[in-house]
Parts: sequence; C-alpha cells; structure tokens
Amino acid sequence: MRHSLTRRRFFEGAATLGALAALSGCSPKVAEDENLANTGASPEIETVNFDEYEVKHSWCYMCGPAKALCSTLCYINPEGRWVHVEGNPVAGNNWGYGCKSLCAKGNSAMQTLYNPARIEYPMRRVGEKGEGKFERCTWDEAIEGIATKLQEIKDQYGPETFALWSPQECKFVMQMGRRFLNVFGTPNYMHSAICQTQITSSRELSIGTKADTYPYQLNKTKLLVNWGVNGENADMNNNIDKANPVRRFDAMDNGLQFIDIRPMLDPLATHASVWVPVRPGTDGALALAILNVLVEEDLYDHDFCENWCNGFDKLAEHVKQFPPSWAAPITGISEEKITEVARMMGTIKPMGIMYGNSAGDQSNDGNWTCISINLIAAITGNLDVPGGGGAGMKMPPELFDCSKINKVPTLSDKLPSYPEDEENGLAPSRSRLVAPEFPRWWQNPDTWAYTKFFVDPTSAANRGIQSVLTGKPFPLRAVFSHSTNPLSQTRQPKLVAEALKKLDLYFVMDTGWNPSCDYADYVLPACTRYEDSCQIGSRNMPEGTFIGIEQQIAEPLGESRSDWKVYLDLAVKMGFGEDFWNGDLDGLLRAQLEPTGFTLEELREKGYIFVERTDGAKPEEPTYQNYEELFAKLPNGKVQCYNEIIGGMPNNREDGTLGYLPEYVGPPEGIAETPEIAAEFPLIFTDVHAHRLSVHSYFGNLPYMRERNRLPWVKINPATAQQYGIEDGDWMKIESPHGWVKMVAEYFEGISPEVIMGKRGWWQDCEELGEPGYGCFDGGSEVNNLYDATIENFDGFHSAMAKQTLVKISKWEG
Amino acid sequence: MQYGFFVDGRRCVKCYACEVACQQWHGLAAATWMRRTVFETVEGRFPAVSRRFASLSCMHCEHPACAAVCPVGAIAKRREDGLVVGDATRCIGCRSCALACPFDVPRYRDDKTMDKCDGCLSLGRGPDEEPRCVLSCPTRALHFGPLPEMEAEAASCGGARLEGATAPAVLVAHRPRPDWASQAAPSPAATDDEVPFDGAAPAAEN
Repeated sequence: MRHSLTRRRFFEGAATLGALAALSGCSPKVAEDENLANTGASPEIETVNFDEYEVKHSWCYMCGPAKALCSTLCYINPEGRWVHVEGNPVAGNNWGYGCKSLCAKGNSAMQTLYNPARIEYPMRRVGEKGEGKFERCTWDEAIEGIATKLQEIKDQYGPETFALWSPQECKFVMQMGRRFLNVFGTPNYMHSAICQTQITSSRELSIGTKADTYPYQLNKTKLLVNWGVNGENADMNNNIDKANPVRRFDAMDNGLQFIDIRPMLDPLATHASVWVPVRPGTDGALALAILNVLVEEDLYDHDFCENWCNGFDKLAEHVKQFPPSWAAPITGISEEKITEVARMMGTIKPMGIMYGNSAGDQSNDGNWTCISINLIAAITGNLDVPGGGGAGMKMPPELFDCSKINKVPTLSDKLPSYPEDEENGLAPSRSRLVAPEFPRWWQNPDTWAYTKFFVDPTSAANRGIQSVLTGKPFPLRAVFSHSTNPLSQTRQPKLVAEALKKLDLYFVMDTGWNPSCDYADYVLPACTRYEDSCQIGSRNMPEGTFIGIEQQIAEPLGESRSDWKVYLDLAVKMGFGEDFWNGDLDGLLRAQLEPTGFTLEELREKGYIFVERTDGAKPEEPTYQNYEELFAKLPNGKVQCYNEIIGGMPNNREDGTLGYLPEYVGPPEGIAETPEIAAEFPLIFTDVHAHRLSVHSYFGNLPYMRERNRLPWVKINPATAQQYGIEDGDWMKIESPHGWVKMVAEYFEGISPEVIMGKRGWWQDCEELGEPGYGCFDGGSEVNNLYDATIENFDGFHSAMAKQTLVKISKWEG
Repeated sequence: MQYGFFVDGRRCVKCYACEVACQQWHGLAAATWMRRTVFETVEGRFPAVSRRFASLSCMHCEHPACAAVCPVGAIAKRREDGLVVGDATRCIGCRSCALACPFDVPRYRDDKTMDKCDGCLSLGRGPDEEPRCVLSCPTRALHFGPLPEMEAEAASCGGARLEGATAPAVLVAHRPRPDWASQAAPSPAATDDEVPFDGAAPAAEN
C-alpha cells in the first residue's frame, strides 16, 4: 500500500478534520496549545525480549545461493521460527567493520525458507515432455536413474554429450559441479555468456590480468565513469564492488564526480554530473568516438602511449574513422555531448571506469566495446595510479590462513586429452567443447586462460543448447540445469524448450518448480542454505580477520537436500566417490579449515569467529605504475591497442578470424543499423538485467519483493505511450521480429521516447499475494522472447548476445 | 531532548532496504501497511530529468496533531526523547489521528488499533542505539539522534527541517539539481502536486 503526501491530500485531510471536529464537538487545536503535546500518558512499551531468541550465523542467500558476500545474524524466536535478520557487524560487510546494513532482498531472506512454492520431494516424469505429469520418487530412485542414464549416454555417445547448465556465478555449480564434470570427462560447463567473466576476459585481452580500470581507491578518484553498470540494482550492499553506492557517495563528499552512461535514469544516475542516455547496444560506437576525440584533440598520455602501448599509432589511425559526427546518429547522443564527455575523460584525473553488465556482455560486439573502454582508461594514463584504475591499498596480512576457504579444487587434470587436442595445441578436452564460449585456443591455462575464472573449459549455454536442434558440431544428449530456469536465462525460450524436449536426459535441481522442470526426466528438490551447513566464507580487513559458516536454521523441508551434495551422491553412485570425499561434504570443509587452525565442530558451534588485529598493522599505500609487471604476459609486454592476442586468430565459432583493432557491429536490429526493420518496428526494446528486488529471474515469489514489483512492467516515456493511446498502467503488446510479450506500461520521463525498457523474469507466482506467474513463451512476459538468437550474430570472442531489439507496441485489449 | 531523523536524499537510491527492514523487524506482512516509505519526485522531461528520494515515516512532531485529537489519550509524546507513541490497549480505532496528521502517517491493524513508527522502542532499542531502518540503510542516507545533532548534520549539506505547524522532527537534504536536469521546464505534474516538504509525488516504482 503506497501513499503519497501531496499538498492536495493534506488540504483534503484538514477539511475532513474540520468536519469531524464539528461532529464530535471538539476543536482540533493543532500545535497552538503547547500543552497538547503531552496530553497522553506515556504508555508502557511492550518490548521484545531478544534474550529468548537464538541467533545463528549465515551467509546471505539473496544475491545468489552460494555467495559469501554479506555475513548475517538470523534471529530465531522461541517457537523456532526464523523471524529477523541483520548484517553481522564484525564481518566487514558493505562499508566495513561495524556495519549492520542489508539490502531489501537481504531483509526478506526469511521468506525464502518459508516459501510455499518450495518443492519437497524428488519427482520423476511419467507423461510426455512438457506435459507436466510427474510422480514422486525416492532420492535413491532419482540418483540411480540419473546415474544409469548418464553412464549409458557416456558409453554410447561420449562424455562430452553431457553438459551442466549453470546459473549465475555459483560455487556449488562452478566449482563442485565442475569437479563432477571433470571427473566424468566432459568439458561442457554451459555458462550464460552474460557475466562479469565476459568483461574480465576482454580486460585481460587488452590491459592484462593484473591491471584494471575500476578504481580501487575511490576516495582519491576525481572522475568515475559508470558505464552500463547497475550499482543500485546489483551491488547495494556488496563490499567487493569498489564503487558501490555507499563508497561512491562518500567519495562524492570528497570531490568525486561521475558520468552515468545508461539508457534509463536509474536512481544512481540521478546523482551523476552527466547522464548519457545512450541507445541500448550502441556503447561500442560511443567508445570508439571517445577514443577518436582523445586522439584528435591530443588528450592522451604521450609518455604512457609511447612506452606501454602496443600499436598505439595503428589505433590512432584506426579511430580517425569514428568521429562524434559518425557516432551521434548511431548512439542518439549529440556530437557536442560526446565531445564533452570525451574531454572530461581526457582531462579530469585520476579517472576510474566501471563498466559492464550491459556495456560489454549483452551486445553482439561486447568484446570490442569492453576493449575500447579499457583502451580509453589506458591511453589517458589512468592505469595503476592512485585513484585511477586498479592500484588498491595493500591490506595487512590475514591473522590466520584462509587461503583454502570457499574453494573447491576442480580436478581439471582429470579431463581426458584427445588427439585433436594435442594436434591443435589445445588444452585437454577443448576439442570436445560443444560451443566454446571463448575460442578453443584461448581456453588454455598454459597460455591465456590462467586466471581463476578461466582455468576450466566452458561452453556458451545458448549456443550449446542449440546443438540439440542443429546437431552441430554434435548434439548434446544430457543436460543438468542446476538452480536456474533456462527458459528465462537466455534468448528465445521457445527454441530452448524445443531443445530440452529432444534431450535423452534432462534433470533439474531447484528449490521450486521452474517452468523448465516440465521438460525434465527428474526434478530434485533443493533446500536453501539455511537448512544445511555446507559453505564457509572469510574476510580479511583492517580491524581483523573473519571466518563464518552457514549454521543450520531449520531442518530441510520435506526431502529437500543441499545443492552441494547432489554431486557427491551422483559421484558415489557412479563409482568415483573417492574424488568426492566418499560422499561426506564435511571432508571438504575440514580440508578448507585445516590451515586456519579452527575445527569444523568449533566453527559450526560458534557460527563465526572474528580475530581482532592487535599488531597495529594498517592498510599500506602500494607502489604505483608497475607497468612492467602488470603487462608482462601481454604480447611485447604492452597494452594491446593493436591486439596481437586475438588478431588473426579463429573466433569461437571457427567460422572466421578475429580482428586486431576495435570494430563496431551494433545490435542485430537497430534504428541506425537496420532502418528497413525500424520502419515496421520503430522503438528500441531492452531490459534491466539485474534488479534490486530479484536475483536474476528469481524472487518474484517472495511477498516483500513482489509487492514492490507486482506486474511485469515496462518503462515508457509518456509522450511515446500517448501516441499509441496507452495509459499509465495499461497492458501493452510488445512485438519484435522474434516474438511478442505482454507487459504493463509504466510512465517514466527518465527514458528516451524511442526506447522502452522492461525487466526479465516474471515466471514465478506469489501465492501469498495472489499474484500469478507469467509465461516464458510468446504471449507471456519473458523479455527473452523478443531478442535475437542467431548464433552467427553473437560476439565472436566471448559469445555475448544482444539484449536489444526493435519493437512495435499497441494497447493490449485481451 | 527531542530526537529526530535526518534523511539525506543526496545518498538515497530508493533501494527499499529501510522499508523492508522496518517490515521484517516489526512483523508487518507484505501488502498490508507500511510504517516507512521511500517517496519520489520526478521532475522535468527527457533528457532534462531529475529524481529525488526521501525515506519518510512518522515525523515524531514536537506538537503532534494526532496526540492532540486522540479522544482517549492513546497517543503520547515521550518526555525523554520526544518520540510519539501509540498505546494499543487504549486505542478505540476512531481514526481521528489519521485525519489530524498532516503527513498521512497513522495506519490501522486488523483489530482497528492504530499503527505507526515507534522508533523501534518495541524492539528494546536503547537511547544511544539506532532504529532498524537506519541500521539497515546500505548508503548511510538515514540518521537518527538528538534533533540538534541532526540539524547540524543537515545544515552542513544544505538540508533543512521539514516545515509544518506540528513541527516535524525530520530534516531532509537533497542534491542540487544537476545542470543537465535543471535546464528544462518542470513537468506539470510536479508543480501542481508538490508536497509541503519538497519530498514526494507518486511516481515510477523502481
């Protein structure tokens, strides 16, 4: 229930008050008689006695089921119900030691445990795929059935035909699941290609693994460029983000200004010095035009470019073809504004650039967009300088050894090596990737892919699942979707569903029934992290060193089980239990704890341990401009203005080679790019990928989240809506060349009249509020129906897919 | 000593943490009523648009109109901290307080008794501690303490006390409208419906 305090309402209230006073015969003396202030006797206030509550420790579940970002204290009432949660003040969450803050999601964590949408028992399909007919089975039957089928498929078609479809960055899948894949013998970990890893890989290609454009000492930064990043949606309380909102506001008190480059005036953008409402999907053109101005107006750092840039002259010559006059009609940003922004970036120092989740991993030319942004930071001399990119303070050492905490070794040496691998100089099993997310040659820890995200092989999920339909290069036979709904995660759910139907084995593990379960052979019920005790996290900070474990708050609902343990169960059944602690996860946790000196029993009993720093050590200033070390592994030891890592090398589809210098491709359907499509579909559609009231497409079933996000909204400029006779709150039909959805118009001035912007993931219903879920296919509200899924259009290096298209709209009368 | 809130809109991004923290700590079910709400004003037209946010609840007025009109003395202003608190055991659910309150604060429970912010006194908050909304705010946009301290904090960043005959114990600061957003004429909706404290008009939800 929302109320607005408007003057009109105020006057109405006053008028009614007079009427009531007349009726009751007393005069409403408001504030005129000072004695009135104390007329009521101060009541005894009944207070909750928290001494009767049990307080347990957990890592917050709400921005991912296996994140260890925010340590929380969970209050359990005398009846045994978990009722309250707060940030643990000694864990150094968000702004640091003493902080109890949590985001809106974090504050509603209890509702995940008591969610009526939870599933309780393993289920086995009895009807046709997609029909939704299932029967309850036992865990033994499910594990036995899955293991038997996996073995058959492995024997008949080869291990590589089994793929694990991962959700977001999630350790029980990306580490424990990877370990299972490696021992099983398949490299096909299917990853969304919508991820920080896209952004990270492009950075590593251009400025190396150790340098960064993100400012690690924001309090010294003068200009922050917020490019396609949703800090108010994804990182409200996240202390890993070096420019999360609280740090940013602190730095603004210290003179920081920031430029916000995003299509919509999201809440952080309204605090910016400059807002650049770039057309979705055209960030690459904007970045090239900024490089053009920096070169043409001589705003680059000559010393840095001469000494530390590989092929700067080639880049300078190349970007001459991309002046602001070229970019303006593509990006929808005027020449003057592009020039103004470029001059700010060239002259205000130090500058840090944070970019991503729409500027790099959700556009067809994401890799070149990211590379161009990295080069902007580099040639302006903003790498590894105080307040510029990277260059963080050096934290005093941990007070106990946490080096093994929250890490599951993935046993990548268990992957088989095939003759095709060896003949082509590939790392083991890379020849068996169904859809290499990054080029096969790049996925080699001995040469390039040696940082933590890239040591294990990976396939792009959308391309991988399409193999089932095309048979190219071979069809996947078995897929495990773990903690994700593939019908809301990636482009073209109808295509995905067709592929799921054709699999020999499809199984899902989730806390609730997601729409892809209808296509599954087995559905396994996951418990939340609050029902088991499987993950340890740690944090080192100036005040001390912290370590904490999930404490069990409730017994697992029904027969639900921890996501971590399913791989152990399967491994034991398939005969490789020895690599999985013989089915006892505590074996892993004990190994992680061994160097700390604490025992698992002690940590489980206490929940968390904080050791205060008493040696007086403080964070220290690093040495700066260590370019020789930072760029050591790059060709010629320099920033790749002219990219000799990817230039001339095969792309990830192996249907062409990658270039040396940044290119602009643009969205598959765009106003400037495809005017013939724009004639019928005149508006640009995109969506906010992350939102602070959901985690990816989940949490629409939690009452505190759903009451703030009841209907599948799309933001539309009132001027545009009125042209189509669409009122604020009307349902709209939104149609692209690829599909159509129904969504509800929300008038908003903070978006261009040529753009409409929705939010994905409306498939969950909220039983408590009586709100339905909306379908994942055409006619539902899943924005992924609108986007292109043509493999040849995806980014040739890191597989990013367009999150922009052209649409036509009309009022929905149905 | 009067206590009050300083709401620093310069640091607010409408993340809803304060709202949900209040709900979960006070056991307020979703889609019933809320004690604290983040209000928003959108001004201007694309691209010269600005948004302002203010998280507001009971103003704990120095001269509370609700207490003045309560026919059964069920609303009191505490001497020790100036907080305005309701007494459910006396409340007869007549809703006079809702009509009297210039800020539309009182809400009513299923049993018809009045409900509003109690400064987390019912959670046993000590005099030097902060209410849950303040503790949970990820950007440190919310502050609570002795009113003179809040006034000093607000004054240091251009904030001011909300005006009104009841003397609300709340201060609000906003960032000056950026150059890019202040060039265009404000949209009609914003001028017509402006709130007495420059806080809130109904607008986009996210």
